[in-house]
Amino acid sequence: MADMLDGFLALSEALTGFTGHRLRGTGQAEAYLTTATGIVGGGVMRDLLLAAEEARASAGGDAAKHEAELRRLIMSDDRLGPVARNIIRMWYVGSWYQLPKAWREAHGQSPRDQDHVVSPISYTEGLLWPAIGANPAGAKPAGYGMWAMPPRIAPG
Amino acid sequence: MSLTKITDKAGLHRHLEAAIQLEHATIPPYLNALYSIKPGTNTEAFHILRAVAVEEMLHLTLAANILNAVGGTPDLTVPGFVPLYPAYLPDGETDFQVDCQAFSRAAIETFLKIERPAEGATPGVDTIHKGRKRAHHNGHKRHGTAVRARHVPGHEEEHFYSIGEFYQAIEEGLERLHAEMGDALFSGDPARQITPEYYYSAGGGLMAVTDLASAKAAIRLISEQGEGVTDNIFDYEGEIAHYYRFEQLLLGRYYQKGDARGRPTGREVAVDWDAVFPIKANARIADFPEGSALRQGAEEFNRAYGDFLSLLTRAFQGEPALFVEAVGGMFQLKELYYQIMRQPLGDGTHAAPTYEIPHG
Repeated sequence: MADMLDGFLALSEALTGFTGHRLRGTGQAEAYLTTATGIVGGGVMRDLLLAAEEARASAGGDAAKHEAELRRLIMSDDRLGPVARNIIRMWYVGSWYQLPKAWREAHGQSPRDQDHVVSPISYTEGLLWPAIGANPAGAKPAGYGMWAMPPRIAPG
Repeated sequence: MSLTKITDKAGLHRHLEAAIQLEHATIPPYLNALYSIKPGTNTEAFHILRAVAVEEMLHLTLAANILNAVGGTPDLTVPGFVPLYPAYLPDGETDFQVDCQAFSRAAIETFLKIERPAEGATPGVDTIHKGRKRAHHNGHKRHGTAVRARHVPGHEEEHFYSIGEFYQAIEEGLERLHAEMGDALFSGDPARQITPEYYYSAGGGLMAVTDLASAKAAIRLISEQGEGVTDNIFDYEGEIAHYYRFEQLLLGRYYQKGDARGRPTGREVAVDWDAVFPIKANARIADFPEGSALRQGAEEFNRAYGDFLSLLTRAFQGEPALFVEAVGGMFQLKELYYQIMRQPLGDGTHAAPTYEIPHG
């Protein structure tokens, strides 16, 4: 699982645009990996991480090529693409969304593949908040009187 | 700094500067322990620690108000103001050092020493500090990093056994100087006082200090909220002192009115000592791989902490409205604490803020 986690973080960096440090800093990495693996199965997750590794290796540090390879190997792949999109959503909003009907029919249906919030703090730890430079509504209060000042959100 | 008996205004200033440094020196250990608690667990311990940390901020502010009232200049930005942990407390308590470590029994035991009642006031607490010696003596070699060296030749160095006794010495000094100088002692600009309008619901009453009575009231509040200079578990406002709040965590039970020291009879306090990020004790930037995102994150924290102290200093030096923003900065720091403490170091421990504040 530790190796899987490293691979998952490397994939997630590429998918979200946030650093591995920042992703780990949400405290949600293990929960997202467990959630996704539990629903799509170890085989799909392993293939996804291998594809991500292949994309990194063939790009050789070229960012544009890396992106193109990710699109080719993962995002446009019928089996891996929808899972990768769901992982992006999890990181940004903290929820798992049910996979598309076509994917469920082709690759199996997990009873856990339902819309759900991953953990009690996954929503407030969502990357959407630093991405838009705002505090999560109703959480992470900024302190007395701070509403009179512009938000100061640590960037990714 | 070396402290000697208060005989003049400069001596009083030095004591109050040490008081500000002392109040601050408790905050990093308390916050490291507080935020090492995994979110959503240990809610009772979390609230006890948080309330104490917030009150230390109040004490710091009160000490700054007193220093401003007697014409001093609070400055939290001088190099050495933030100790490198492990550190001795700046009031000269020489029999223990303070670690910055994860929430644990060892951490709480250190916190009990920080908040211990004045010697003689509470014979009952010796169960926790067996074998200690009175630390009020001459010529003890200092090897901590907590204090700025400022030796006054030919004067007897002061070392205090407890924070309460340290404040007693300040109060006696205030009274002595007031008897000599009268109200001229309180020569500071009242506009520098942080007044309750800048302070919202955070650990009790903040008061402006403008004369002997308000200075003594501020000292009383600090002392009684901490450890009490008397042997009461609850202070004059019916609030439980920090020492006994922490003790509840070790004893697993809340105090209630009428309880004897060391024998709380209230309901149980549930503590899960394992629901904690195993943060490295007294971490340093050098513990994190060079060039790593973690190292950058830890350096960012230190810059942000330095900015917080700078803002607080400006607030204490005549811009009290900035106090609101400075306190707001602590809420942002909280996010950085969590981001750092969630990073495993690969040796079973996690990263932690290092408080190596950059200067210049």
